[in-house]
Amino acid sequence: MKSGISRRTLLVNGALVGGATFFGPWRHHHVYAQKRDKPILIGLTHDASGQFANSGQDEQRGTIMAIEEANARGGVLGRKLTYITADTETTPATGSRVAERMITRNEVAFLVGAIQSGVANAIGQVAQKYGCVYFNTNSSSPTESGKDCKRVKFVWDGSGANFALAAADNAVRTFGKRWMLLTNDYVWGHNTSKATREIATKFGAQITDEILVPVGTRDFSPILLKVQQAKPDVVAAAVGGDDFKVMRQEVVKLGLDQKPAWLNNQQDWPDIYGLGIESVFGVFGTTWYHKLPLPGVPELVKRYQARWPDTRIDVPGNVFYNGYMAMGELVRAIERAGSTNNIKVIKALEGHKMSAKDRMQHHDAWIDPETHHVQQTVYLAARNEKPADKTDYFRIMSWSEPDKVRDADSVKTCKLAPYDSTPTYEQ
Amino acid sequence: MDLMVTLGPHLLNGLALGLLFALVALGFMLIIGVMEVINLAHGSLFALGAYVAVALVTPEGGLRLAALGPYFATPIPMRFVVALLVAPIVVAGVGMGLEVCLRRTYGRDPLYGLLLTFGAALVIEELIRLVWGPTERFLPVPPSISGGISLGGLIYSVYRFFASAFAVGMIVLLWLFLQRTRYGALIKAGAHDSEMVRALGINLKRLRLLVFAFGTALAAVAGIVMAPIWGVRPHVGVDAVVPAFVVIVLGGVGSFWGAVIAGLLVGMVVGLTGAFATAWSLVSMYILLIVVVTVRGRGLLGKKSVLEK
Repeated sequence: MKSGISRRTLLVNGALVGGATFFGPWRHHHVYAQKRDKPILIGLTHDASGQFANSGQDEQRGTIMAIEEANARGGVLGRKLTYITADTETTPATGSRVAERMITRNEVAFLVGAIQSGVANAIGQVAQKYGCVYFNTNSSSPTESGKDCKRVKFVWDGSGANFALAAADNAVRTFGKRWMLLTNDYVWGHNTSKATREIATKFGAQITDEILVPVGTRDFSPILLKVQQAKPDVVAAAVGGDDFKVMRQEVVKLGLDQKPAWLNNQQDWPDIYGLGIESVFGVFGTTWYHKLPLPGVPELVKRYQARWPDTRIDVPGNVFYNGYMAMGELVRAIERAGSTNNIKVIKALEGHKMSAKDRMQHHDAWIDPETHHVQQTVYLAARNEKPADKTDYFRIMSWSEPDKVRDADSVKTCKLAPYDSTPTYEQ
Repeated sequence: MDLMVTLGPHLLNGLALGLLFALVALGFMLIIGVMEVINLAHGSLFALGAYVAVALVTPEGGLRLAALGPYFATPIPMRFVVALLVAPIVVAGVGMGLEVCLRRTYGRDPLYGLLLTFGAALVIEELIRLVWGPTERFLPVPPSISGGISLGGLIYSVYRFFASAFAVGMIVLLWLFLQRTRYGALIKAGAHDSEMVRALGINLKRLRLLVFAFGTALAAVAGIVMAPIWGVRPHVGVDAVVPAFVVIVLGGVGSFWGAVIAGLLVGMVVGLTGAFATAWSLVSMYILLIVVVTVRGRGLLGKKSVLEK
């Protein structure tokens, strides 16, 4: 009996069905065949120039080391990890361009890296458009896990609000109620100062003045004179990158680091290391320190030194740590998901708990499913007057449980896009 | 009275800042004035001066000079003075090399010189990154000129006073050099009419080489003096070349006293806005420039210059 379907019809229909499976008919969802033998390509979006070049290169050392360690263990799902890098230049427009190119031309499976909050936000927007899972490793503006949160974006550093929550209560009681804010005039500075203002006033502080510090300020003498004239009890500074380095140099030189009390939100390790212990001033937050008396810490320091013998930063700090831990967790999330499918990976990350032992911190951490922000131990530190060696800059004063410093505002302001409006892909 | 108590410290600070801006602009002014070349590498040479000084003052200064143990056993003031003398000579050598490259652009569209020096700026900055790395460096200053001094209940930086006094010294010395020495007269004559200078039998090629070396050495001196204030990082030159350019245009291209007055004006404006309208402090110098150039196109004391060709 002759069939009603000719071979040509069969081929045409087959092609149509195959094409529909591959390209649509969904508006967003393009399903690519999984290529199991192909390495998983990661796009590293670290700053190599501009205000945060130094930190950008430090977090890059962390992500690369985690990738190499994963490959040494045999990769993930039987596939090797490879990476490409591009300089995001501490510039949001460059961040957008780099992310767009990495996703559409290089077809990266994931994006990892950010220091400056404007850049992180720009990359996050592009990543959300394509559904590409993006790890903001080190940018700590509260808006990153608040109003600028994204379904595809996960934020690994402690936020300005976390650090303010850890410090404010104690600072009001110890130093006094008259507070002055120094605010770097960009996303992170504004949002960190906003969070500090809200939190400090909640604990009884009065904000007497807020000085906006333009990005690129190289002379802090007028500002420091004004601070002296105002005589605040506490100066809460949200000043970062090169601006902070210049300000710190001036403050320490003048001996103003003793009075008033300085709250410096977060002190990134690459911004201080090499300048001498005497350069450290005020009270500040960090998420990790290489002298924490915890299992795994000395081993990580040794691995870092073996892998990066030529870097001037002799020991890893918080910026390296965030890059390293984030990349390691991405590998584990792919393993848990059993796939590189972005939605599966996102679900494997949301709410995921990480033990204190694995994180080399004092408390367990978890990824907040409502904000995609890693809730972790926050340390308060100051200058170490009795250093064990030349790398021992910080004296860890206290550490807070993640619950105690969770930013409730970000939960209110973060609106994650629904899964079904997030494009799916699998590389 | 209250106003003066509030304003006084900022006026004093603005004056000090202005002298530093003038110092940063001196070498730039000399090269534009005599050679009619806008040396965009001025900032990178400024940074190079700071880095060479770091290498000469600190054993871990990046050039593996640590082998010079006995030298680094000498006190910091001694090494600081050595840096102030040696680093400008090193940078002047680099400047001379750049001038040789620039020769083919003389007499042509100024854009050629502009592009060449811009390229040189990028190359020098990258070389700094390669040799010293991207991280921040620290130039220690002698203890006698560091720390703070209390005046009227406020703490001022002793080093800033030193730097301002140093700037005054440099301005006076340069002025005396230009006014009272034969080379100074040649430089001024070269700036006024280079062809006539050549017709009188002066070796113009050598004069230009020396002026360029002198200008870049001044950039290095400024880099060293500003290093403890602005810090030392590969791109610190950008922080220098932009205000230097503003000061030169504001003062009038090629005008010595124009540059000094413009430096003081810029310092005063930046200092006062830094205190009372901080968000405007960086942009204030450009607003000042726009206002002055709108009223007087050639700047405060300027004459017809290369920028008008």
